[in-house]
Amino acid sequence: MIRITHLEKVYRTDEVETVALNKLTIEVKEGEFVAIMGPSGCGKSTLLNILGLLDDPDSGSFMFNGIEVAKFNERKRADLRKRNIGFVFQSFNLIDELTVFENVELPLIYTGVKAAERKKRVEAVLDKMQIMHRRNHYPQQLSGGQQQRVAVARAVVNNPKLILADEPTGNLDSSNGNEVMQLLTDLNEQGTTIIMVTHSEHDARYSHRIIRMLDGQTVLENIMV
Amino acid sequence: MIRNYLKIAIRNLLKHRFISFINLFGLTVGLTCCLLITTYILNELSYDKYNKNADNIYRVTRSFNNQEGVVSLNLSTIAPAFGYYLPGDFPEIKKMTRLYENGTTPMKYKEKIFNEKNLFFADENLFDVFTVKVLKGNPKTALYDPYSVMLTEETAKKYFGDEDPMDKTIRFNSQFDIKVTGIYKAFPSNAHMHPGMLLSFNTLKDSAVYGERNLQRSWGNNSFFTYLLMPPHFSPQNMIAQFPAFVDRRMSGREYIGNTPSKFTKLGLQKLTDIHLYSHTDYEAEPNGDMSRVYIFSAIALFILLIACINYMNLSTARSALRAREIGIRKVIGARRKELIAQFLGESVLICWAAILLAGALTYLALPWLNKVSGQELSLGALLQWKIIVPVLLTPFIIGVLSGIYPALFMSSFQPVKTLKGLFRAGGGSISFRKVLVVTQFAISIILIITTVIVFQQLHYIQNKSLGFDKERVVTMAYTNEVSRQYEAYRAELLQNTAFKNMTRSSRIPTGRLLDNMGASVLSGDSMRPVTTDIKYVSSDYDFASTFGIRVTAGRFFSREYGTDTASFVINESAVKAVGWKNAADAVDKNFKYGNQSGHIVGVINDFHFESMHQAIVPVVLVMFPASQNYFNNLTVKISGSNIAPALAYMEKTWKKYFPETPADYTFLDENFDKLYQAEQKQATLFTVFACVAIFIACLGLFGLSAFAISQRIKEIGIRKVLGANVSGIVGLLSKDFLGLVGIAAVMAFPVAWFAMNNWLKDFAYRINIQWWVFVVAGIVAALIAFLTVSFQAIKAAISNPVKSLRTE
Repeated sequence: MIRITHLEKVYRTDEVETVALNKLTIEVKEGEFVAIMGPSGCGKSTLLNILGLLDDPDSGSFMFNGIEVAKFNERKRADLRKRNIGFVFQSFNLIDELTVFENVELPLIYTGVKAAERKKRVEAVLDKMQIMHRRNHYPQQLSGGQQQRVAVARAVVNNPKLILADEPTGNLDSSNGNEVMQLLTDLNEQGTTIIMVTHSEHDARYSHRIIRMLDGQTVLENIMV
Repeated sequence: MIRNYLKIAIRNLLKHRFISFINLFGLTVGLTCCLLITTYILNELSYDKYNKNADNIYRVTRSFNNQEGVVSLNLSTIAPAFGYYLPGDFPEIKKMTRLYENGTTPMKYKEKIFNEKNLFFADENLFDVFTVKVLKGNPKTALYDPYSVMLTEETAKKYFGDEDPMDKTIRFNSQFDIKVTGIYKAFPSNAHMHPGMLLSFNTLKDSAVYGERNLQRSWGNNSFFTYLLMPPHFSPQNMIAQFPAFVDRRMSGREYIGNTPSKFTKLGLQKLTDIHLYSHTDYEAEPNGDMSRVYIFSAIALFILLIACINYMNLSTARSALRAREIGIRKVIGARRKELIAQFLGESVLICWAAILLAGALTYLALPWLNKVSGQELSLGALLQWKIIVPVLLTPFIIGVLSGIYPALFMSSFQPVKTLKGLFRAGGGSISFRKVLVVTQFAISIILIITTVIVFQQLHYIQNKSLGFDKERVVTMAYTNEVSRQYEAYRAELLQNTAFKNMTRSSRIPTGRLLDNMGASVLSGDSMRPVTTDIKYVSSDYDFASTFGIRVTAGRFFSREYGTDTASFVINESAVKAVGWKNAADAVDKNFKYGNQSGHIVGVINDFHFESMHQAIVPVVLVMFPASQNYFNNLTVKISGSNIAPALAYMEKTWKKYFPETPADYTFLDENFDKLYQAEQKQATLFTVFACVAIFIACLGLFGLSAFAISQRIKEIGIRKVLGANVSGIVGLLSKDFLGLVGIAAVMAFPVAWFAMNNWLKDFAYRINIQWWVFVVAGIVAALIAFLTVSFQAIKAAISNPVKSLRTE
């Protein structure tokens, strides 16, 4: 599903040049659950942003479902992104002015789904995330675990092929964290590919494979049993 | 999608109530001012357009040129003989109709006597040219018979109450009776004249009234408003080109100093619909408007709107940092840039919509106030026409897009990765653009402050400049037929009372205009040489100088002790210069001929401001015609003590005894004087109000912007305080930036304000010099306003506990 080869990304300021990704090569197959680990600054967030089509590489190739997307412009990337990729962030990133229902509905609006269909799909996913009873609440009225469940619901409402999770449990206590990890595992079992950046060895154990990075390169790949 | 935007927009507005309030309030006030000014402008532009023939009616004007070809007098009225010949000589004229204003005339019905001011003699075909609704009587014939009169409903009510006015008779100036033959609806407020009574023009044919011969032969009595109804697509230029030949043909035998009449008399045509805004002749039916005033107020309306829009742009972009995360999320989820642009534009359009609805309501509430201040009769009805409603309804879109486009483009360009990581800081390029906007606002405010101050300085100057005569405790009344018969007796009786200092009669009084002119000649060698400069005359009597407190600088004034004084002239110092005499003393006893009357200069009076300060002091000769030719319109009394009320009561009592058929209506000279500058006074008041609104909105914006800018620096303030900064140091630090902007704005504003006011002052013959300190004061005031606005926020930030601000970071 994803194949990146010799990917490079360099951040430059006037005096310092930071190599975030150094000729990185990774492949992720459809249906995989991959965890990416490594110390702060090793380039894992940069990698996730590029995988999520939020950022573009300086050089190298990025094949997504067999299409070269490294040179896509913003509009094309946005189109590909909204149909194929769901995001889960450490800090949830829900829109404070929208209710739970409206937050989850938003991706459907941008992909042009009709209102009646939207309602059906949003309710189905809220039900699945067991947060239906909170549908008319605003994010600030929810606990961290509930907010992250809403964020996951929003990430999956469009049935994306790929979910990118950036430390999804980082702001949660362990029981809420486990719940979220269980949700991701369930989604993966239903066929969604998941790539997750995490600092937590505990969370990483939910994945099939751990990619360990250092200074913009992979240093080790563990296959989980 | 739209519903979603709407939801977000409304929730965002509610969440950021303070900034929403500033935006909404600023736009509402701005739009209200715009709507008010639009109502005013529409009214100004609508004058006389209600006439069905509006586009085909022209008024004939006459200007007088002196030897050098310079226009010395420009009138909207012409002599009757022109009107007599015009239709015959110009067959393309479809109709010609005239109105002759009779001046204040006492009218009597039974016991009721009124001084009628808006009394006009009108040709019987008046209603074929002008659109007037005739309520009673036959419009075709009502003005045909001599001594018939038509009244407005209001005038009829005044005389006859609830009685049927038709066929009743009214006594005209103790001279003759006139019969009511019709009632018409008063001319609308946006007409350039408002006759309250229309007398049949044929009445003038009676030689006891005016005389048919004069109507055909008089080239000198320029008192007739003459209107022509022309065919469609008529080109006035062609006709104007033929006027000189017409003038020479018909005025033949009136050559002057070897020149044909057309060298001195120029006829012109004014389109009816141009009269109100473009006609500035020396004599108008009523004070007109002025196109430049329309432009000035349009500019103010645009300024205010611009300031309100700038507020919106400024506050929205400043606030964008708060929305960066939302924008990031939307982008990650799949929003395209154009969708975000649409969202933000939608929000600004929404605000503008709310603002225009509120502004509509506010305009409705404020209109009575505007009418009171401007003396207009404006109504919102003027706005209820499609070509206004459609633009007004589109305004929110236009303003919304104009003021929203920059924030929308700016915000939609955010990088999602950065905004979500909190790396985003509102700043960079946007700060400098915001600074440009703030500078613009303050430049406009400073311009408005300077112009307001200068307008008031000039008004103060003209109202307090020494006039050369004494306008205090001087009372004027109409000098009518009845008064002329008993004048001396009345004067003698009144002056026995020590409350009265003196009494005089004259054709015109100071605070009026000087329009009457006959040729003057002086002895040069053996023959009389014409004076090339116009010398205006005032018909006066012995007591003119002492009643008005005018100083005699050489010789003497007219005096009863000299029997021959009807052959004497008194001139002012300007006339001395115009003739070319060395000085006042040199002029005394010189031979002088004015019109047909020859005599001597007996005295010279000081130059005094007969006319308003818009006019320069012109050469004037005071003439005492023989009693049979006397030509007086005004009777003026000088009260000597400060006990005015009993004096007036006594004056009225005596008046009624002598003149039962003339109402004792009097006006104070100083009130007339104030009226000269009423238009400017009203304009200044409106100007001040709108300027204050503009400055207020600008301050509101600055207040919001500084609140935001300071909130961005809360952490810096905390650190500085921990390191030992004191409150005043921090306030200074935070205010410094904004004061710098005010400084730049001032530098930009000064030349604009100077240029604008220099132009405005050109309208006054007597004007102040623009002083440099006005600019400095305006700059300081603006800086002070800015400082107070900013320091309110700065002090709040500076005295807050640093521990708090550092912890929240």
